[in-house]
Amino acid sequence: MIPQAVLNEWYPVAMIALVGPRPGRQTQLLGSDIAVFLEDGQIVVQGAKGQRLAVTLRYGHVWACPGTPAHDLFPIPEADQPGRRLVDCGVVRVKCSPLRAVENFLDIAHFPFVHTDVLGAEPHTEVGRYEVQIREDSDEVWATKVHFYQPQAAKSAAGGIVTEYMYRVAAPTAAVLYKTCPNQPDAWDVIGIFVQPLTEEFCEVWPWMALFDDTTPQADLIQFQQMIFLQDRSILENQIPRLLPLDPGKEIPTQADLTSIAYRRWLKRKGLTYGAQMVAA
Amino acid sequence: MSGMWVANGLSQDLPLGVVMAGAWQGAELAIWRSASGRLSAWNDRCPHRGMRLSHGFVRGETLSCIYHGWAYGTDGACSKIPAHPAMVPPAAIKAEVYQCVEAEGVIWVAPAGSDVDLPDLSGLAAVRSVTVQAGLAEVAHALPGFVCEGAVWRGQLDGAAVALVVQDRGALVRIHALGTGDRVKVSRWLDGMMRLAEQGVLA
Ligand code: FES
Repeated sequence: MIPQAVLNEWYPVAMIALVGPRPGRQTQLLGSDIAVFLEDGQIVVQGAKGQRLAVTLRYGHVWACPGTPAHDLFPIPEADQPGRRLVDCGVVRVKCSPLRAVENFLDIAHFPFVHTDVLGAEPHTEVGRYEVQIREDSDEVWATKVHFYQPQAAKSAAGGIVTEYMYRVAAPTAAVLYKTCPNQPDAWDVIGIFVQPLTEEFCEVWPWMALFDDTTPQADLIQFQQMIFLQDRSILENQIPRLLPLDPGKEIPTQADLTSIAYRRWLKRKGLTYGAQMVAA
Repeated sequence: MSGMWVANGLSQDLPLGVVMAGAWQGAELAIWRSASGRLSAWNDRCPHRGMRLSHGFVRGETLSCIYHGWAYGTDGACSKIPAHPAMVPPAAIKAEVYQCVEAEGVIWVAPAGSDVDLPDLSGLAAVRSVTVQAGLAEVAHALPGFVCEGAVWRGQLDGAAVALVVQDRGALVRIHALGTGDRVKVSRWLDGMMRLAEQGVLA
């Protein structure tokens, strides 16, 4: 039985630009077959029994809710800001819990080891103190004042810099990060990952970006993000247990894991347990 | 069978500074050799966030996890957390350690605290390891005249002693071969035995 709280959330199920007529995109959501297709100029998400799911089109993606939407899809105001370039980065299939994929996105301590010489490099491995809160007004997890040394923080970054980050969990399987922008010091680059929970142990990850960058060719931007997520995949498919433990159990978090701790606590509090392991193991 | 020794390869196949995946019964292991040659076998799960330690990297006398670089010494204790370089890791952060020894060129693993004796392979020399795409029954069938003592099958090849240390992995079998005679001859004979066992699966 999937908890009602899980069913009433929004999940990404397709890239808008790629949706075609029937049979369209045959995929899964929370373990059930769905189809995403165009009908009379409208995008439809249809369940296995022929039922139509609630749909929202935002941030380049099709979002569906298998239950009764508990709220509107989360806002990303930067998506409407003039001058930003919105980039859909395609999809990476990962054999892991959708929650593990989000947790990994919120993690910085792995940069020097998994994204070596790109997002991090030894000996610059220290994760300083940062702030984490579960914001009651928006019901989101936020991490702010995160600083990290990066050899090549973005496609447009030439050399090493200290990058500042903010992280935000906006939905159970969607997170957004804000990072200082090499081309515009007073603005933030915005990168989202929208994770489609196919099953509890299998997901598709859709990276998405809203950048101030007019010069880097689209193909290079996409290739850069794809490379990063493929590196992450080698980790995500090899974590034990496969489901995300909401209680630490055998795991030992440190101060650098504060965002992960808050994310797990938030999921538990809201009963968003699809892809989670409830028994400590 | 609770504390038995399980063979996990030949010494010659695990060079200095290398980590590999292994198994003890159902438990998955990371088995590694430090720069100075010390062997260790641990549960293949990093105490931090569960990454497989067999994907990690060896530096000197430590094995580091590939995810966040936590380093563990040969006793399994965490010696470094790169995200907090100034912090001395608490003693509680420790990999789950198995016993790991090598004798006559075979790497053996048993749970900590087990006091079962190692199979006696003295006088034999390691030849090579092979993976047979067959079950234990087909392998047994391909070894007429061999006597099974636990994980070790003993027999003769042209008058010279041969011992096969067998690691049952379900759909396949790992065999670590030792012998007293001509290594090339033992190796060729192994190829034939493998073919026979794998044909047995098809038959
Ligand atoms: S999971 Fe091993 S260091 Fe984090």
